[in-house]
Amino acid sequence: MPADFDADLVIDANAALLGLEIGPEQRPGVVQFLKLAAQMAALVEAAPIGDTLELDGAFHPVAP
Amino acid sequence: MSVDPFAPAREIAAAVREGRTTAVAVTRLFLDRIEAIDPVLNAYTEVTAARAMAAAHAIDARKAKGEPLGPLAGVPFAVKNLLDLEGVVTRAGSKINRENAPATRDAVLVERLIAADAVPLGALNMGEYAYDFTGENVHDGACRNPHDPDHMTGGSSSGCGAATGGGLAPISLGSDTNGSIRVPSSLCGIFGLKPTYGRLPRTRSFPFCDSLDHLGPFARNVGDLALAYDLLQGHDAGDHACADRPVEPVSDKLPLGAAGLRVAVLGGHFDTAGMAAAARAVDRVARALGARRTIELPGAAEGRAAAFLITNTESAAFHLNRLRARPMDFDPETRDRFLAGALLPAAWSVKAHQVRRWYAEKAAAVFREFDLLIAPSTPMCAPEIGQKTMELHGKTVPLRPMFGLFTQPISAIGLPVCAVPVPVAGEGGLPIGVQLIAAPWREDRVLRAAAWLEAEGLAHAPLPPG
Repeated sequence: MPADFDADLVIDANAALLGLEIGPEQRPGVVQFLKLAAQMAALVEAAPIGDTLELDGAFHPVAP
Repeated sequence: MSVDPFAPAREIAAAVREGRTTAVAVTRLFLDRIEAIDPVLNAYTEVTAARAMAAAHAIDARKAKGEPLGPLAGVPFAVKNLLDLEGVVTRAGSKINRENAPATRDAVLVERLIAADAVPLGALNMGEYAYDFTGENVHDGACRNPHDPDHMTGGSSSGCGAATGGGLAPISLGSDTNGSIRVPSSLCGIFGLKPTYGRLPRTRSFPFCDSLDHLGPFARNVGDLALAYDLLQGHDAGDHACADRPVEPVSDKLPLGAAGLRVAVLGGHFDTAGMAAAARAVDRVARALGARRTIELPGAAEGRAAAFLITNTESAAFHLNRLRARPMDFDPETRDRFLAGALLPAAWSVKAHQVRRWYAEKAAAVFREFDLLIAPSTPMCAPEIGQKTMELHGKTVPLRPMFGLFTQPISAIGLPVCAVPVPVAGEGGLPIGVQLIAAPWREDRVLRAAAWLEAEGLAHAPLPPG
């Protein structure tokens, strides 16, 4: 997790954008899970995948 | 004849087909057991007794007319309440979905078991919206472990673990996104099959995470598990992720056992240092299968992290309107996770999908050298109900999101797994299990190896006390 990761900042910025209300009762739990997600994101970011954009799925056009 | 509720489903079906018992007698036995035992285990959220008895009477009537009966004649089964059962509300463990209309048609997998003359007993308890490894549910109460009701069943297919582990349904159907078949199998001491991603159709089931959701069977022995799996196979266009592959039966391959399989134990991310029961289970299975090497599954930690983020973001997006409108109607244990998932940057999700692809390629290279990999299913035996944290590699970590440490990297790339109970490795009367893992579409290998371990007496479903 980046040392400067600020879960409260993420909540304040994104909850309103998405129309989500996160009250004082939920905030500690949401902060805990945001920090955990940030740790996971750091692992994902560190994977040496190279400068590619190959996703795990391919879109298949739907024929009539 | 009297019916043993722990007898293999195939023996029950043979007894019904041969007229040594009736479907009605079998169904009545299980309904009576549910009435007596389920107030403790809390496996069922709805028992479809009238439907079950009607189905059983119809099977017996066909038998009386001399008509042939199916391979699961009169065998009761139950389903996690995210698979549709006609006439039952698909709650998916939630309060909110209770307001939905009852399902008008069975899930495809339910239809396939009924076509084999199995008898549907009802809907099973589960973690809310399947976001759970514990078996706890604030709306319906915790599912309780059949080997010690003070302990967890594991989740999110908690009712499957309790029902099949407790002799309340010889076969059950559940789902597994990050470990929800394999964790209850381990904690409740039963066999579970998480097939390859895309193998079994999810048509008319309530989703958790489309990119990672699998459905699969639980049973008390490998023969029943393989038979159920064979009957469940087949493409269905109602699930866009279902692969259009031919049915590949495995039951007739079980006698091949583990002969010729190149087997390795997974280390690295799957290291069991400090986890005595898990280490014992892996060691016993490795010895029995002749695994001489411990190898790393490259990218497992990163792949597991990718699955974590994909699950978190995708499920939160699915529930966004419910989170906006009715956040207080969620189970608090899932609500905060969904809320966090909704707030995550899109770039993390896209990167996770890239890493998943990268990791799948690395795993494929491992399977060019090995046919079967062994890993623990869970870090420990069933924790006590209410436990919030656990010790992992010397650190105290939250139990709920971390209990899938060993299962999540495997489902992340859709590999087939048979979860095998190894009760001799358990502690305090509680069982524990291991994962037998193969390359995509090689369910035959994991089931052959499981059958071998069962024949050797190492893997079996222990009887609950009492």
